[in-house]
Amino acid sequence: MKRIAVVATIGLSATQVAAETVVTQWDQFSQAGITAAGPAMDELIQTCAPALGGAEILRTVAPSIGIRDSYRLAVAAGKTPDLAYTWPAASVLSGYARTGALAPLDEYYAEYGWEHVNDFYRGRNSYDGSLYGVPMEQDLMGVYYNEALFEEHGIAVPTTYDEFVAAANAFKEAGVVPIAFGNRDRWPATNTFSLILGLTAGKQVEEDVFFRDTPWTNEAFLQAATVFQDWAEDGWFPRGFNGVGYDEANALFLSGRAAMTITGTWVIQDMIRGSDNIALGVFMLPPIADGVAPGTMWGEGSQWQLSASADEATREAAAAYLDCLVSDESQRVWVQKGYTVPIGTTPEELAEWGAHPVVHSFFEQGLATPESNFYDLHTTLPESVTQVLYPELQRLAGGDTTPEEFLQAMQSAWEAAVANGDRWIP
Amino acid sequence: MKPTTRPIQTLVLAIFAIYSLAPVYLVVLASMRSEADLFAGPLTLPWPLNLENFRRVWSESGFSTYFWNSVVISVSVTIIVLLTAPLAGFAFAKIRFRGREVLFALFLAGLVVPAPSVIVALYGNLQALGMIDSRLGVILPQAALLTPFSVFMMRTVMQDVPDELIEASTMDGASLIRTFVGVVLPVVRPGLMSLMLIVFLFSWQEYLLPLVVLQTETLKPITVGAASLQGRYGVDYGGIAAAGLIAFAPLVLLFLLLQRSFVRGLSAGAVK
Amino acid sequence: MHSPRTAYWFLAPALILYLAFVAVPIAQVVGYSFFSWDSGQLDQFVGFANFARLGTDSVFWAALWHNAVWVVLTLAFPLLAGLLLSAILAERRPNTVRALAAIYFIPRTIPLVVAGIIWGWIYNPIFGLLNYGLDILGLGQFAHAWLAEESTALFSLNVVGAWTFFGFCVVIYLAAIQSIDPSLYEAADIDGAGWGAKFRDITVPLLRNSTLFLGLYAAIEAMRFFDLIWVTTQGGPGYATEVLTTHVYKTFFLVGDFGYAAVLSVVLLVIVLSLASLSFWLLRSR
Repeated sequence: MKRIAVVATIGLSATQVAAETVVTQWDQFSQAGITAAGPAMDELIQTCAPALGGAEILRTVAPSIGIRDSYRLAVAAGKTPDLAYTWPAASVLSGYARTGALAPLDEYYAEYGWEHVNDFYRGRNSYDGSLYGVPMEQDLMGVYYNEALFEEHGIAVPTTYDEFVAAANAFKEAGVVPIAFGNRDRWPATNTFSLILGLTAGKQVEEDVFFRDTPWTNEAFLQAATVFQDWAEDGWFPRGFNGVGYDEANALFLSGRAAMTITGTWVIQDMIRGSDNIALGVFMLPPIADGVAPGTMWGEGSQWQLSASADEATREAAAAYLDCLVSDESQRVWVQKGYTVPIGTTPEELAEWGAHPVVHSFFEQGLATPESNFYDLHTTLPESVTQVLYPELQRLAGGDTTPEEFLQAMQSAWEAAVANGDRWIP
Repeated sequence: MKPTTRPIQTLVLAIFAIYSLAPVYLVVLASMRSEADLFAGPLTLPWPLNLENFRRVWSESGFSTYFWNSVVISVSVTIIVLLTAPLAGFAFAKIRFRGREVLFALFLAGLVVPAPSVIVALYGNLQALGMIDSRLGVILPQAALLTPFSVFMMRTVMQDVPDELIEASTMDGASLIRTFVGVVLPVVRPGLMSLMLIVFLFSWQEYLLPLVVLQTETLKPITVGAASLQGRYGVDYGGIAAAGLIAFAPLVLLFLLLQRSFVRGLSAGAVK
Repeated sequence: MHSPRTAYWFLAPALILYLAFVAVPIAQVVGYSFFSWDSGQLDQFVGFANFARLGTDSVFWAALWHNAVWVVLTLAFPLLAGLLLSAILAERRPNTVRALAAIYFIPRTIPLVVAGIIWGWIYNPIFGLLNYGLDILGLGQFAHAWLAEESTALFSLNVVGAWTFFGFCVVIYLAAIQSIDPSLYEAADIDGAGWGAKFRDITVPLLRNSTLFLGLYAAIEAMRFFDLIWVTTQGGPGYATEVLTTHVYKTFFLVGDFGYAAVLSVVLLVIVLSLASLSFWLLRSR
């Protein structure tokens, strides 16, 4: 707190001395919780300071969950931070880019290369032919599991969906919560459902819906919605899951009272740190529908973006600094100090840099299927659709709506958003 | 009275006292326990008191900053209201002027305006005034939203000031403002005290305005800080309880010390 | 008796503050509701087109219904409790009265955000005290995900609302009871009336005005409240605890649909102002 206050006064005097440039930076790299890469960020600010060419970083750390809303308010207030690491990516890009809040980054991509950002990620950070974001972390989803509990109950790591079903039912029989799932915060179900959707409908059908004209009320989506509701109704989730917080669900798993929890790499550091009492393992959820390729939900979680209202010098300095943050040398720091795996990092590098075995295992499995990895709903859909998805998923899991009604509600929200021009297409 | 009636009544009184206090006691209890033994042991306070959770949220989670921000915001709002509402209340109570009924009705309407219903326009205005993400952007709208209640209450209070007192002073040649400050205000001191406490209470409790206006972590008041702990602290109920206690303890203490003024203020609208 | 012009000087500070941050924004909100918006920018005049959306917005109707349920629950529980408690207290020693009134009133001083956090923890399905207590008592089958089931969420939240409100009712009723002429009770005692009869025939009728005040106060508060819901359920599960204020907040801040958020605000304002006029009229014409 104190340090921020000091820097703030420097910021004030800097406006008087025109020669000095200040880059305001918002990020989510705190010391604990989701995206807990604070130590890596601290170090990289030192490392990358020379790239700023004399400019200074004025940093604000916003909690990961809240930064999305704070950033939107800041943009609406005309106080867009010069450089921000925020989410939810593609879904809001059209809104920010169309209204000119964000600076196009094509010239910086040309200048610095940033070849490690592949076409999938470039697409997710584009709007109307221009790039607006530099994605950094990659988010994958998988199943964290308690190895000891699996062993104790004589259950092997499932390699097919049938085996997964059998495992979950076996745990339930034995009085162990099969899947620690908590959805009070409203967003966790979107991740779970995104994973089920991708493994039921596949990437191709998803793109037919998101980018073309296939309605939500198609057979594959219906199957996915039914599967998700079945998981809840078969008692695979803890009692009152819609009233259990995301952190509480993770705590339930880490305390050894649940066999699995299905979530992403964004909490991998907290998982590892909290796993003193359990043997932590990771596997990928097998394909659910016949003929669907194995894969996982893949996204950037967040991306660096530059404000259009920042002046030329500030943008130049910020881009050079950004280039340092995503450089090969920095990747190693993110991995070692931040438990964060930047885009472009290979499993071999992870092994070489001494990443935790769970980190290595997670990324090795998740990155094995780049062609079939699919979308994360609430970083892909427009906000107006997401705000329908959240309550509707609570109702679907809670048994208060049918899969058909759920998809109809999604389809009408989707049609309204498309009519409004809010749809993102790479 | 039937002999059984009184014990039953006492039981009812006791049940509601438990309803009232049990949650407060649980918070105090949780704030002094570590995560591990939250449900362990009897429901009595540890001895010696364990203040580790308080130390942690106070110095490590920024609660000293949140607390200070709440003090600054609430005191500023209180001062602004104390500088404006008594004057207006006096005018409505003691001066005849054109448009009195209309203007008073205008204020009365404001008594019920919910903050969420004006936020849509207020937000844009604050932005245009450059007050977003500044304390002033919370303080001024909050004082304004509390103005109707305060003016209404002050009018009631001022009506009880004897006209003779005011006339005696003005006949001596004192201006009205001098009379107001020198003669009227001392008479209505209990009323001012009540107003001060109520306004302080309400502005300390406010959540929505600072939630949307302030983005910088170091400017946020304790209500916003406490709410943000839920996501950040996960299952650290000890920390959350300590934070909650820091957020409401000053208000409870203030109330217990100055109960009479509080109650008079809150029931001001009801009696008349 | 005094120069009218001075009155305007006295009024000016409060009036300016009030106009700038309350009255003018209200006028703006009304104006905004007639325009279409694009990403936060005023676009074009569309008449009542935004209002027409209310008809098909099922979340709006659910929210309105929940506000109405909240009013009824508040009248049914904290108000009644306040009446009963104050009638009992009226016959106790002054020290007892003062102490208990203070105890009942303490929750009112706690910010609703904090109340929501405390009770959210009590209600927590896994780590919560309520279910823990039920399990210990062997009543585990009555355990619920109190705030997470559509059937119990609104009611459970109302228990929290009542917790912060019944003490206020006690205080208001006590003040009124203490001004009732004691000879009425003495006369009833001579007639041999029991406690229940006195409560029914003397206390309740004579407290009619306080009841009216508290009822209208509760109704208006029921339309205005936001904090409690926002920190506990954010309107969930599904739409089970959605109220008008949370719907406004989501429409404005999360979706960014400014025109429709303005419409919802106008509806909210019309309701509270109508309630306020009604109460003013009722309390005046008593």
